[in-house]
Amino acid sequence: MATTDESTGSWFGADGQVSQVRGLLFKLSCLGATLLALGLVLVFLLYVFNDAVQPLTADTGWLLTFVVTLVLPAVAVGVYYYTRDTRAGEVAYTALGLPVATTLLAGGVVITFEHIVSPHAWFALALSATVAFGLVELHARTRTAGALERLAVVVLVPLLALVGVPGIAVDFPVETPLLGQELFRLSFAIPELVPSLREVILALPVLPTAAISLLLTFTLPIAAAAAWHVRRVRESDRDGAIAGGATIVAAGLGLVAAPLVDLSATTWVVLATVVALPVGLYVESVVRRDVGVSGLAFPVVVAAGALIGAFLVDALGFAGPDLWLDWDFLTSPASTTPRDAGIYPALVGSVMMLVVVAVAAFPVGVGAAVYLEEYAPNDGLLGSIVDLIEINIANLAGVPSVVYGVLGLTLFVRTAGMQSGIVMVGGLTIGLLILPIVIVSAQEAIRGVPDSLRQASYGMGATKWQTVRNVVLPRALPGIMTGTILAFGRAIGETAPLLMIGAAAVVRIPPDTFFSLFSAMPRQIFAWSKEIETEFRYGVLAAGVVTLLIVMLMMNASAILVRNKYQRQN
Amino acid sequence: MTRDTPLETDGGDPRADGSGTAVADSAAQTDSSDESLLDSSFDVEDRSHASEDTDAIVEARDIDVYYGDEQALQSVDVAIPEKRVTAMIGPSGCGKSTFLRSINRMNDLIDAARVEGELLFDGKNVYDDDVDPVALRRKIGMVFQSPNPFPKSIYDNVAYGLEVQGKTDDVDEKVHRALERAALLDEVEDQLDESGLELSGGQQQRLCIARAIAPDPEVLLMDEPASALDPVATSKVEDLIEELAEDYTVVIVTHNMQQAARISDKTAVFLTGGELVEFDDTAKIFENPESQRVEDYITGKFG
Amino acid sequence: MGNESFDADLTRSAHGQIAKERLYHWLLFFCAALTVFVTVSIVVTLAVDAVAFFRQVDALSFFTGTEWESSRGTFGVLPLVTATLVVTAVSAIVAIPIGTAAAVYLSEYASDRMRSVLKPALEILAGIPTVVYGYLALVYLTPWLRKGGLDLSMFNLLSASIMVGIMIIPMVSSISEDAMSAVPDSLREAGYGLGATKFEVSTGVVIPAAVSGIFSSYILALSRAIGETMIVVMAGGMQARMLDLTNPFANLFNSGQTMTAAMVHAVTSDATGGTPEFYSMFAIGLTLFFVTFSMNLLSNRIAARYREEYQ
Repeated sequence: MATTDESTGSWFGADGQVSQVRGLLFKLSCLGATLLALGLVLVFLLYVFNDAVQPLTADTGWLLTFVVTLVLPAVAVGVYYYTRDTRAGEVAYTALGLPVATTLLAGGVVITFEHIVSPHAWFALALSATVAFGLVELHARTRTAGALERLAVVVLVPLLALVGVPGIAVDFPVETPLLGQELFRLSFAIPELVPSLREVILALPVLPTAAISLLLTFTLPIAAAAAWHVRRVRESDRDGAIAGGATIVAAGLGLVAAPLVDLSATTWVVLATVVALPVGLYVESVVRRDVGVSGLAFPVVVAAGALIGAFLVDALGFAGPDLWLDWDFLTSPASTTPRDAGIYPALVGSVMMLVVVAVAAFPVGVGAAVYLEEYAPNDGLLGSIVDLIEINIANLAGVPSVVYGVLGLTLFVRTAGMQSGIVMVGGLTIGLLILPIVIVSAQEAIRGVPDSLRQASYGMGATKWQTVRNVVLPRALPGIMTGTILAFGRAIGETAPLLMIGAAAVVRIPPDTFFSLFSAMPRQIFAWSKEIETEFRYGVLAAGVVTLLIVMLMMNASAILVRNKYQRQN
Repeated sequence: MTRDTPLETDGGDPRADGSGTAVADSAAQTDSSDESLLDSSFDVEDRSHASEDTDAIVEARDIDVYYGDEQALQSVDVAIPEKRVTAMIGPSGCGKSTFLRSINRMNDLIDAARVEGELLFDGKNVYDDDVDPVALRRKIGMVFQSPNPFPKSIYDNVAYGLEVQGKTDDVDEKVHRALERAALLDEVEDQLDESGLELSGGQQQRLCIARAIAPDPEVLLMDEPASALDPVATSKVEDLIEELAEDYTVVIVTHNMQQAARISDKTAVFLTGGELVEFDDTAKIFENPESQRVEDYITGKFG
Repeated sequence: MGNESFDADLTRSAHGQIAKERLYHWLLFFCAALTVFVTVSIVVTLAVDAVAFFRQVDALSFFTGTEWESSRGTFGVLPLVTATLVVTAVSAIVAIPIGTAAAVYLSEYASDRMRSVLKPALEILAGIPTVVYGYLALVYLTPWLRKGGLDLSMFNLLSASIMVGIMIIPMVSSISEDAMSAVPDSLREAGYGLGATKFEVSTGVVIPAAVSGIFSSYILALSRAIGETMIVVMAGGMQARMLDLTNPFANLFNSGQTMTAAMVHAVTSDATGGTPEFYSMFAIGLTLFFVTFSMNLLSNRIAARYREEYQ
């Protein structure tokens, strides 16, 4: 090409300019597209947020106060972390996120003890389970008997402890097939023969108060686990004992101190166990590792700024913004007047539905993934069946959610005869929906376990199941958890299947069993979107959307947290 | 046991191990001169007990192994004596690891692998339908090419085999004894609760050996156990293998002919195509092999 | 050695243990097989009731009818199908260029730090529930477009389809980016070695090499757009309207009912089990299932091809 003197002189020069401009334009348009995609949604979300909290309705003084006490210090500290000490920045991110996330979790636990299992029921359940477990262990230690006797003990003791020998009531019409003519009716009832240990405990004349029950059967085991963990990482029995003891004392303090801060004693116990303990452990681990300790200052700065700001605006008499998203919104039931409307029953409904989803989808999903990765043969007839299953799972992940709704309606309501619109049906339907996602992500995590570990385990004479349980699953667990939490995030936002299975638009009382009618947050949002009043459209609806998004972001953030911790370990 | 071979011949780089340059150099000078072609380059130890053969504990009769359509082993016949060290040497891809893995049926884990022929362990064909490979592997321990401790504590690593095999009595004592036998106890006694991954490569491999011997198997299979280790760690592992042979039957696959010469009583030479060319006392193989191909291989003309 | 008596026999591994292993094996197998059960039961439940529907409604008039007025018993599926196609086409116009460009940026231009911010951000976009997107379209996008001078009715397909497009951008970009990142660096280096600019390498080497992966992302995203429900229900309205070819913009500016919206309508309206309106849901659902399932199948096939090429 460049043969003449002129062009060799400028081979690196100006004639490349056209292509450089073109390249630059291309690069910029690609960057622009990326930012456009993110920016569009960001702008929308800013509008939503603005409608939900209406910051501009606050006094200027109020805004200024908080800018000075909260925003500026937080930004300053954040800039410091970003430019000077990125490890401290990571610590700051976790140190701020952990209390918020665990508080949300504590909220879920409080709701659970409020609506799903009462503290006394939990107390009885935990106590009888412990007794059963103790007896089984005792049997295993004292009698190294045959497999059959052991099996009998393992099955019967827990059964007696938790269920007892239940009464049986049968009322079953025997019909001729096809014609449906009743021949005779099989009907008898046996009264309960042996009440379970659980029922016996519940029937005791004296039971500890709700808070003490939780202290004994909720805080105590968690404190023991924490003590064991601390003892292990610090290699000191004393430190372990301190950690466990401090947890119990902190929770037990609630029996006395909770009324002073206007909390119920049970709430205090839950908060101390679910929030204070993990935060304490995290702080301990940061200090022990001595990396990015200054990051711990961030939540302190934020909390102090918020408190000082609140104190100042109160003293100076500045009015805050006209919030839609406030405590009342989170704790009130739905209402026809926008100002009174709240999301509480739908929030509880979502939590309960998620419990069903988790119980239904997690074990099955992980089980399927284990089968496909560890057990499934690659060739032969079964091999091609397995191939088919894999293709099928990949495709199921793309089936529209509304179709799952139809499936749930037909399968659980019209075929199994459950009532439509109850928590169980909603949870099972959405469980089916996220099952493929759970399977695929669990498969990826299991595939990431190095083969050398499996070989080592098999070489030791471990059976397949022993290898899976002791080597593969522990190693894959963080990856499985990450994928599963993300899938649960998807589950909590699904709406169309809930419409199909008839989840109620408006529910005033939160569901109290898994077989009650329920509404969920996205279902409630959809219901509000049909209201004509602008206060619903721009106020209540925005608050509901922000609530939903915050819950989702929390779940995503915790998934990312798990993933980061896991990636650093490897 | 004494050791007078300088370690440099093992090579620091595990991949470029002794089958290459060092042997070829030394062979070049001995080749032309006399019949005992190897005595200057290989240090075959005088192992008095080696001469008296013990009963075979593992006996292969006409073993063929296929991976899909490809044949990895061709009618191998070999009898591995009890409580001796038997080495399998040969160039890459000659099937020596395949043979090792067919002893404890690790090849079962590969769907495409197929084994034909009889492989007797204690007189029982391990490929009989009624043999449970899990039960088999409980009697035959295995150590792998690169150290692969579980991401668990040192203690739990060694106790793993005891746990999965249901030998739950005296676990503490057995773990300590296994670590001691693997010459690791002194180094890790204070850190049994720490992760096995925190040890150095050589320590990890000895941990894997401790893990393999903790349940007290009868045979110990080692698949190039020193190939990923540095020379010092290699020599420790080699010492260990010689000591283990007092109680266990050791079958070791190695790329490194020096290593085979130093530590084994019997040597099997596999050559390309999955063919067992010669199997005899180590001294015989290295000093006066019958097959010309084995001689070529050992002197570095081939492989 | 010591424990010689302990299961000296190779065949006698404890019987309880073998039974336990079998039990776990089958338990896990049933977990995996459950997914097949899900597919089969989707097909069966949809098909059985779709048959019930076609007993009451003539199949020919269903597939060729141009009017859908379920409350009056007129079931012509074409208005629903065309509305679905309109939404899919507009969302593709929005999502494909933006998504592809974003993928090129992330794969070829972005620094590691930039990527570590942008990728999770896009992931979060993908996680936003569709009911939120529907709300954004209804409450913000439609009024904005109206202010911009478009003569939109309150429910309209335009803002619904734009929002569906925005929703599927992360899908296009992340799968396309995976495909582009899988192109081996040696190909890029070959391009640079010939004196190509980065632009020429991106468009002339990387994109053609990754084209099957990129296409599979398009198909997957479009299948998602076809099956999208909440956005079109909330912002697109519930009134079925036949595609008007004489006045193309009117189709976008007015409300319309897609197949998914019609299914929601069939359940949430007062239709009770047994009426043709209720059963129509299954006929539409079956159609929808087959369309999306075969698109996913196609997409996976294409994606599998590029994986084979570069692994």
